[in-house]
Amino acid sequence: MKSDGTLPKIAVHGLTGCAGELLVILENLGTVLPYVQVASFPFAQSKNDIKDVDIAFVEGSVSQEHDIEVLNKIRSHSKWLVAVGNCAVHGCVQSSTCAKFTPQEMVESVYGKDSAIKALEAKPLSSYVEVDVSLSGCPIDKNQFLAVLASLLKDHLPYIIERPVCLECKMRENGCVLIEKNLPCLGPVTAAGCGALCPSFDAACYGCFGPCKDPQLDAMTLILQEKGYNLSDVLVRLGTFGIPEAVLSNLDVRR
Amino acid sequence: MQTTGKVYAPVKVSDLSYSFKAVETHSDIAFEALRTILPPKKFFFPQEETIVMCDGDQISEVVEVPTPFVVFGVHPCDLAGLLALDKIFLSAPLDSHYQRRRRAAVIVGLSCLPDKHCFCRSMGTDTPNKGYDLFLTDLGEEFYVQIKSQAGLEVIQACSTFVQSVNNDDNDSYKDFWSERDKLFERTFDSSKLPNLMDMGWNDPVWDQLAERCLSCGNCTPVCPTCYCFDMVDVAMFNTQKMEAKRDRVWDSCQFSGFAAVAGGENFRPGPIDRLKFWYRHKLHGFDDAIEIPSCVGCGRCTVSCPAGIDDLPGVVLTLLQKTNMKDAVQ
Repeated sequence: MKSDGTLPKIAVHGLTGCAGELLVILENLGTVLPYVQVASFPFAQSKNDIKDVDIAFVEGSVSQEHDIEVLNKIRSHSKWLVAVGNCAVHGCVQSSTCAKFTPQEMVESVYGKDSAIKALEAKPLSSYVEVDVSLSGCPIDKNQFLAVLASLLKDHLPYIIERPVCLECKMRENGCVLIEKNLPCLGPVTAAGCGALCPSFDAACYGCFGPCKDPQLDAMTLILQEKGYNLSDVLVRLGTFGIPEAVLSNLDVRR
Repeated sequence: MQTTGKVYAPVKVSDLSYSFKAVETHSDIAFEALRTILPPKKFFFPQEETIVMCDGDQISEVVEVPTPFVVFGVHPCDLAGLLALDKIFLSAPLDSHYQRRRRAAVIVGLSCLPDKHCFCRSMGTDTPNKGYDLFLTDLGEEFYVQIKSQAGLEVIQACSTFVQSVNNDDNDSYKDFWSERDKLFERTFDSSKLPNLMDMGWNDPVWDQLAERCLSCGNCTPVCPTCYCFDMVDVAMFNTQKMEAKRDRVWDSCQFSGFAAVAGGENFRPGPIDRLKFWYRHKLHGFDDAIEIPSCVGCGRCTVSCPAGIDDLPGVVLTLLQKTNMKDAVQ
């Protein structure tokens, strides 16, 4: 509750993405509704007003001119801007790190040569506006989302784990799929937050929360190559869910 | 044992791994388990625990009162690990959360036969001298039971139909077991040299070679019986009625790049090599004389849990001993 007796306003918007984050937020709206007023959520309601929002959650990457306009408008009207999901945080699948085609080639192959559709190279929100909080995940974890919202409602920057999936995996006492099954698990270089979901079901982590803090990609590449995975496959795997170019360019094999 | 409380023992959880879990009958127990993924420290210093709850203006410490429980199948190295943690958590300032759980536990030790990664004999943690309520030595057809405490005695009294007094033959078998076991260790070294060795080998190129492979994944620390580093995180949360916040204690690792980062952006151990060397030193040099015990118990968990294969502690020690000519200098 604010000092004037009203509830804080939130906005939830999607740019270019699969609406995965919008769904996670929608599914958990019941928990947060007693504490907030949903000023704008085009995915869930028809009457929306983006003005003077306290906390805006934006999913999706910026992939077209229209996305930039929407994003700038949200930014200028909100106190806190939270990038939710890997598209908004890292650019995700559609970003350039593992794409083999230029945006122009992709537009032409999908919409034809003389299409009116204009696409930009997919980029995270932070390429265009100042982002206050970045919550990665594909999709985001609902507990992390609730913790972020609860923190920001208290004007408190949230704690978001930046440690690798391996920590959560060991804490759950899973047998290591990288060691025991030689699976191409990216747990050592991927941000935790999922509770080591895939390795808990004997599957390799495929990096869907994006890189952890200071990921050791050279060592990861080396170890996967020793297990027989070829370098180009490893690099695609590392980049699939988006990874900052600055992090990837540090890789010895790419230099 | 079940008359005492819930029983936890090693259970097979994957092709190669075991974990201490709640068991109902003896057939649930993997008696062959040599090392569990996590050591028994998790029962006393859990992976995550809420220390403080906040509800409006009400701030209260969470005081859990654990019911008695039994940890069965604790090998000598893990007993030594618990004793090391006792020195950390039960010295001033005392950690009451750890203490309450420790007091509620009955520890039943169990003998084991080493594999190629075990080096408890070199670390002097291979014989069960203390830290248990009962210790069972597996003599094949039967167990040789040593009773250390009143709690251990009560367990034995509750199952008196299964026990009988030892005779001379039993004592001989017991002695034979432990002396035969001594011969099974593949690699040994003199651990009294370790502090000097770590000082002399500090700038050795071996660290660069290991660090090139280091993933900074932190797998080596949660699995270590003596690693006790944690972080405190404040988490705001929604409750059904009131908004709440809690302060959680969560396992941390010196291998993560944020571990030694401080305000202002300075990081005392910025690279994998800084962190790896720090960890090796902490394990092998000991607690830097603050507590005069080794902080490695030779269980081999880090060796088998490292995806990069760089935590072969006895291998590194033997290499450094060779390089610094210390191997033959003092015997």
